[in-house]
Amino acid sequence: MTKSSPFPQKVYIEEESLNYPLTRRILKNLKQVPREIIRNPQQVLKRLQNSRDAIGEGKKYLLIAKQKGSFVKPCPCTPRYIGCNYFIINLVLNCPLDCSYCILQDYLSHPLITVHVNLEDLWRELDIFLGGRKGKYLRIGTGELGDSLVLDHLTENSEDLISYFRGKEKAFLELKTKTVEIDNILNLEPAENVVISWSLNSFKIAEEEEKGAPSIEERVKAAKRVSEKGFKLGFHFDPLIRYSGWEEDYAEVVKILLNTVDPLKISWISLGSLRFPPPLKLLIKQRFPHTKVIHDEFIKGKDGKLRYFKPLRLELYQKIISFIKGCGGGKIPLYFCMEDEEIWRKAMNWVPRGKEDVENFLSP
Amino acid sequence: MRKENLSPEKIYLKDERFRISFNFSLQKMKNSLQEVGLINPPLVTVRKGRFILVTGWKRVLACLELSFPSIPVEVSEGEDDLQNFLIAIHENLAFRDFSLVEKAEIIHKLKNFGVKTNQLIRDYLPLLDIAPTAFSYEKYLALARFEPELKEVIDEKNIPFSVLQILSEFKLQARRLVLPLLTPLGQNKQKEILEDLQEVSLREEIAAEEILKTPEILEIQNSEKLSPLQKADKVRSLLRKRRYPSFSSWKESFDSSLRKMRWPKEIALKHSLFFEDENISVSFSFKNKKEFEESILKLKEMASKKEFNEIFSWASQ
Repeated sequence: MTKSSPFPQKVYIEEESLNYPLTRRILKNLKQVPREIIRNPQQVLKRLQNSRDAIGEGKKYLLIAKQKGSFVKPCPCTPRYIGCNYFIINLVLNCPLDCSYCILQDYLSHPLITVHVNLEDLWRELDIFLGGRKGKYLRIGTGELGDSLVLDHLTENSEDLISYFRGKEKAFLELKTKTVEIDNILNLEPAENVVISWSLNSFKIAEEEEKGAPSIEERVKAAKRVSEKGFKLGFHFDPLIRYSGWEEDYAEVVKILLNTVDPLKISWISLGSLRFPPPLKLLIKQRFPHTKVIHDEFIKGKDGKLRYFKPLRLELYQKIISFIKGCGGGKIPLYFCMEDEEIWRKAMNWVPRGKEDVENFLSP
Repeated sequence: MRKENLSPEKIYLKDERFRISFNFSLQKMKNSLQEVGLINPPLVTVRKGRFILVTGWKRVLACLELSFPSIPVEVSEGEDDLQNFLIAIHENLAFRDFSLVEKAEIIHKLKNFGVKTNQLIRDYLPLLDIAPTAFSYEKYLALARFEPELKEVIDEKNIPFSVLQILSEFKLQARRLVLPLLTPLGQNKQKEILEDLQEVSLREEIAAEEILKTPEILEIQNSEKLSPLQKADKVRSLLRKRRYPSFSSWKESFDSSLRKMRWPKEIALKHSLFFEDENISVSFSFKNKKEFEESILKLKEMASKKEFNEIFSWASQ
């Protein structure tokens, strides 16, 4: 979603999704954008197939559809590394931002930005899901297969989600974003169990690799405003990327973050280093021929994904953790996304026995 | 279409607009012609008063070498080059598979005959057993632009598409320098050399041809003692070290500790792939209790050496 090409250029509405309130709301907010009612998204996908860049082309269009499967799923994480027992709500799939390293390029079955509109089914499913957890802590979010807030000016989903989760004890909703789409959130009363979180990176990586996303300063400023409104915050330094000068650059971002935002308002910070399944490398090479981020010392990890050689990852983590601690963030709960016992032990000085341990550690 | 008898010398072979086959041996064709004569007449067409060959290159070239004074030909009267070229494609397809280089030539020529990209991808790539994607189309076009001598080697050595795909991303000079290193190797090692070279080039911002001209590599390349396979393996190993500098140095430390300890060859000691896992494994085989106990004794002896702890030093950082 660049400033020069507003999103979406066109909206496709699946016939069976026409009469949902969320469809009407999106269409109202879209105003003059061309729209077409379709029987099956395959019609549109066929047209995209011959494009030189079907993924980039798909980012121009919004598909309004009905979620036919489950909305709620365990976060897929990765085999043979420690997870965090996170759950995801598949409400919006794909993202109009165009980050070079984005896993969704390889993960999703089609490139259209898709909003699922059968919210009544979502609430029903969540009622059953939460009821079945019998008071166990739960962290759940909408930001795994898409950006939680990038379409919030169209969907206003944040309001519905926060209203649903408000007062639901032990269930923590996380809305994760790289954007500054916080107007709807600022109009709401904060909820104890809602965390608004931002993915952060160095200024250089944000500028060169996160096409369409606001700058790091803008994200941190947005976080400050949300925090001043009373919401809890989360941050994700993921993917951490090595390049000449990374230490100074990440130190600067951590410093700016913790000088701008009260560390006590931060519920968690996650750390993860750049990793990707081998086929994504080819896709990135095709779509972003000038990027250098995939040409470092990547080895095949235990899960078959390419990741930095372990001592290099460890160095990244140890440095970032020292920056966070050095800037007054010593009490912020830190965790790794998709790392193993050895990394936890050497960088965090403790080892979770499993994903439940990580979940307990992050729950208040 | 009409039939005619023609001296093969009257066919203007410099015009290769319809030519698909390039690298072939004429011997078998010549044997056949000498034995039974020309059974299937080649197809020609007329452009600016000249006979241009549409199909039957092998046949005509063999007839020329055998100095046949006259051969029967079919003359296509169609003036549409694309139609004639399609006849050439279909005639060949009926009795053989195309090589990668030939497929590349066909795609290139179809493009030159005015077939639109979308139609070419949708209709003609599947005809050639190629996935109908813009990516494949571009890769084959890049291969068509390779220099003739490189195409010849590629055809001769049957270098697979997955390797050519990477090779097409290099500049001419790098392609020329790297190709001799690929030919003695199997497909996996060919890919490894190209990927390592490309990664190092992109990461260090040095042209691939410059990397291949470093004194270390040139010394290997110019060695008279080494066989082509040995040269390729040595360069492969150098590039691997340069692509994985940290891993290579850790591996070297690990291996050097084992050497210092004089680790027994009959007992295998292995670190995990890329040291990603902390565990180290030991394996040995034995036929009886005595052999088993001997190996255990050797292991105990190794464990008592002060250097034994060095093999864990990489993990304790």
